[in-house]
Amino acid sequence: MPIIIPTLDFAALIPILAIITTGLVVLLLDIYVEDKAVLGYVSLIGLLATAIACFGLLTQTVAPTFQNMLVSDGYSLVLDLIFVVTATLSIMIALSYLPARDMQSGEYYALLLFATSGMMLMGAATDLIVVFLGLEIMSIALYVLAAFNRRQLGSGEAGLKYFVLGAFASAFFLYGVALTYGATGSTNLQTIAMWFSANPAYAHNPIAMVGLALLLIGFAFKIAAVPFQWWTPDVYHGAPTSVTAFMSVGAKAAGFAALVRLLLVSFGAIPDWRWVISWLAVLTMTGGNIVALAQKDVKRMLAYSSIAHAGYILVGVVPGTPDGVKGILFYLMSYAFMNIGAFAVIALLEQRDQIGSSIESYMGLSSRKPLLALMMLFFMFSLTGIPPFIGFWGKWYVFWAAVKGGASWLAIVGMINSVISAFYYLSVVVQMYMRSPTEPSELEFAPLSLPVTLTIALAGAVTLLLGLWPTPLIKLTALGIFG
Amino acid sequence: MIIQAIFIVMTLCTLGGAVGVVSSRNLFHSALYLILSFFGVAGYYVLLSAGFLAVIQLMVYIGAIAILILFAIMFSRESAMNSAKESQANRQRWLGLPVAMGLFISLIAVIIPVNWPIQQTAPTTDMVRDLGVAFLTSYLIPFEVVSVLLSVALIGAVMLAREENPPVKETK
Repeated sequence: MPIIIPTLDFAALIPILAIITTGLVVLLLDIYVEDKAVLGYVSLIGLLATAIACFGLLTQTVAPTFQNMLVSDGYSLVLDLIFVVTATLSIMIALSYLPARDMQSGEYYALLLFATSGMMLMGAATDLIVVFLGLEIMSIALYVLAAFNRRQLGSGEAGLKYFVLGAFASAFFLYGVALTYGATGSTNLQTIAMWFSANPAYAHNPIAMVGLALLLIGFAFKIAAVPFQWWTPDVYHGAPTSVTAFMSVGAKAAGFAALVRLLLVSFGAIPDWRWVISWLAVLTMTGGNIVALAQKDVKRMLAYSSIAHAGYILVGVVPGTPDGVKGILFYLMSYAFMNIGAFAVIALLEQRDQIGSSIESYMGLSSRKPLLALMMLFFMFSLTGIPPFIGFWGKWYVFWAAVKGGASWLAIVGMINSVISAFYYLSVVVQMYMRSPTEPSELEFAPLSLPVTLTIALAGAVTLLLGLWPTPLIKLTALGIFG
Repeated sequence: MIIQAIFIVMTLCTLGGAVGVVSSRNLFHSALYLILSFFGVAGYYVLLSAGFLAVIQLMVYIGAIAILILFAIMFSRESAMNSAKESQANRQRWLGLPVAMGLFISLIAVIIPVNWPIQQTAPTTDMVRDLGVAFLTSYLIPFEVVSVLLSVALIGAVMLAREENPPVKETK
């Protein structure tokens, strides 16, 4: 029996290879370079090269490669760009945040890059095995990053909690893969879809349904959807702020990347999951927002807000249309800028460990740091979804897709939730602009460090400018449509 | 008949070992039960005519992983060896029980009635060769990606386990 050599289209792998190579280069340079900040800049160069490669590939024709394990289509490339933006902004925060806490080290940047490669694999995967491997690469790197601050108990607790519950979720996911394979005889997303269309009588095969349910549990954990969100506040609060910024956007985007492809490609013919996702969305939006109202710590509040945002994005999954995919991609990209921007402000204000992230430390910020307060105002307005900021358009496209897909009630629930969320986002603004600082001597601001300041300026500018003129992002996300 | 007897013995090993892992109050005993459970799974592979996988299961899981776990327990603090006083249950046990039972019953209810396709002959006669071919053709990407996963796990483990260095003061 001759061995058939598979089609090896390495062009499809370029973004992932570029990221992994950068990670390995950072690891090697770590031995020789004394000033670890250099490694952060090397990572940024690698990310820039990856972004250029993604833009170059966007115009190429699409063919699944490596025996249908991976695909480099518009969808995966737009997601790659989202991951690159997330990683870039997070590394820029880390360049300021780590040295201020004596945590500067080369492994941080290497792990962050490897986590990014795992996210990209999840976006490009067309086989459940590759999805799982991408998920594990991302998760293991994130467990370690969450526990990166060795001097602080909260960070270790965050890492351990994330690890134990994450391993549990991975087990659910694997069980789901096994049952799906048992029902359909394949782990390939396309082949699963073909099996369902060839055997319409088995569309409600209980094995496949339970398999899908277990897969959904695994994904719901990663995107922090209610009722699988219990780990989120403690992990986001305990992890170093530069890591929280990265995983709140990156892990969520990667989870949605694989979830949307799985549901639309493999289970597109079986609409039953729409009900499940609808209720998951309602629970997630409402649960996240209501608990966020009670938070007195801005970092913890943003953790609950990220749960709520997962709910808004789930609204875009429900219709299962190209419009929905476009809305999700737009939302994820806008969320990367506004959420990481907000975390960058926290990273700047946070003094030692967790002191300085309480909402009181934002009192009267406008009189002491007017520009910083203005940027935080941008992020808070954008996260609420107030025009003309980019967050408004994200919600607009997701909800509009739901309305067109016949799920208007979900869009209404989403809008009510946006109003609820305004209370806690705007309370930060009220603290900054309408209260006077209590004791200025109590909060000594660290001198503005350049990388994090640049991050805030960049994220703030994008949040406003793309909000005023969203056409470029609309055109970009339109390239990511499939299904 | 003999096959069935072997199956029952292997199932007792696997499930009994698994129950032992979670119910034993001594961490060292738990690790030994884990070996029993791994051994039962290796037996399943033999029954399924997957001899190569059975050998790998014995070598990797019992020979390497379980032994590493035993070493890790022995090298760690004394309290890990005799933790007889600590209970494994916490106050959420009565909440966990119905949830776990519910999941178990629903999975059983789904799996039992299914008419699984059963082959009387082994799907492959040359498993090692077929595995090698699969790794280098259809499963090339997963095979390569696993190496990234392993290096990430390795770096992560070193990061978490290494001694905290005194912070290096930057020269200015």
